[in-house]
Amino acid sequence: MRKNETLPKAILDLDRIVHEPARLAILTVLASAEEVAFLFLQRVTGMSKGNLSSHTQKLEAAGYLETLKAFQRRIPVTSFRITEDGRTALRLYHHQLRTLLPKEGKP
Amino acid sequence: MTTLDLETLETITRDYAAFQTRKSGLATALGGCMAVVLVIAALSPNIMGIQVLDRLLVEFLVWVPFLWLLLRAAIGRLVYRKLGPVKALPDGAYERRRWLWILGLAVFLVAVLLAGLYAFASGHLRADQPHAAICPPPLWILLMPFLYLLAMPWAIRGIEEARAYAVLVAQGILWLVPWFLFSFGPPSPPLKTGWGLFGDFTGISILVLIYTVLIWGALAMVRGWKEHREYLAILRALPQES
Repeated sequence: MRKNETLPKAILDLDRIVHEPARLAILTVLASAEEVAFLFLQRVTGMSKGNLSSHTQKLEAAGYLETLKAFQRRIPVTSFRITEDGRTALRLYHHQLRTLLPKEGKP
Repeated sequence: MTTLDLETLETITRDYAAFQTRKSGLATALGGCMAVVLVIAALSPNIMGIQVLDRLLVEFLVWVPFLWLLLRAAIGRLVYRKLGPVKALPDGAYERRRWLWILGLAVFLVAVLLAGLYAFASGHLRADQPHAAICPPPLWILLMPFLYLLAMPWAIRGIEEARAYAVLVAQGILWLVPWFLFSFGPPSPPLKTGWGLFGDFTGISILVLIYTVLIWGALAMVRGWKEHREYLAILRALPQES
């Protein structure tokens, strides 16, 4: 028997892109604002530049965020914005987790 | 990797974004402080009467709200954008409150303008009044209330900012009124006038305006400083850089 077959289907249905803790933190921050600068995202999540870039690229490839590049007084500023798909995926993930967790009072 | 829980991440992001859209912290405190200090300093020789001020000083005082806007932009960039720009999500309820403030202040300014027009039309402002109209106010100064009005949607981004802008505009109006009543003419010496020259209604209105500036200015100082401390708390809550 394969290992996955022993897990409940609800757990297998969790979106792996969102389920990863670093990406979940990124999506949570992005969902709380309209547009977020790279520097702020890095500081608030506590990730390194390389790590953050790698995770945002994965989220962008999944269509969950878009990258915005602009210049402010000749300095390049990279920002991110969550897409509607990203918001929906995050909401769905929260809903799935809530249904997976035991109800209060039950073991 | 962060040790913050998801709820804290949300709160920090929302609070930080608020400082770029509707909170000014130090700038609000500075606005209140400027209004209080300028009014006390300008009236200090005779708080209970109105001293007709030096023309250059009045010309400076009526521009103070715009000076504050420049300072606010500089403070915002230097203090509240250290971690880059973050745009807040739109908040309908807050926007409605903001527009109520704009409307309230607009009504006040329009009332001042109408009172001025009424004073002209009813002959209360005549060139043959004592001390009056040796040198009429320049045209640009007549436009100041309109400029205050035009700047409002941009100047009032948040409720505490609205308070700071309102007191600075009120102190500007405070200097416009005596200007209209007794234009400043060279080389006349500084004049001290009592309430009698203004009439009861104008005198009481000016007194109310003075106390409004002092009380609201003090409130803006306290609230602005409180906002700034909230910002410092946000920075402290962030994970330390490795």
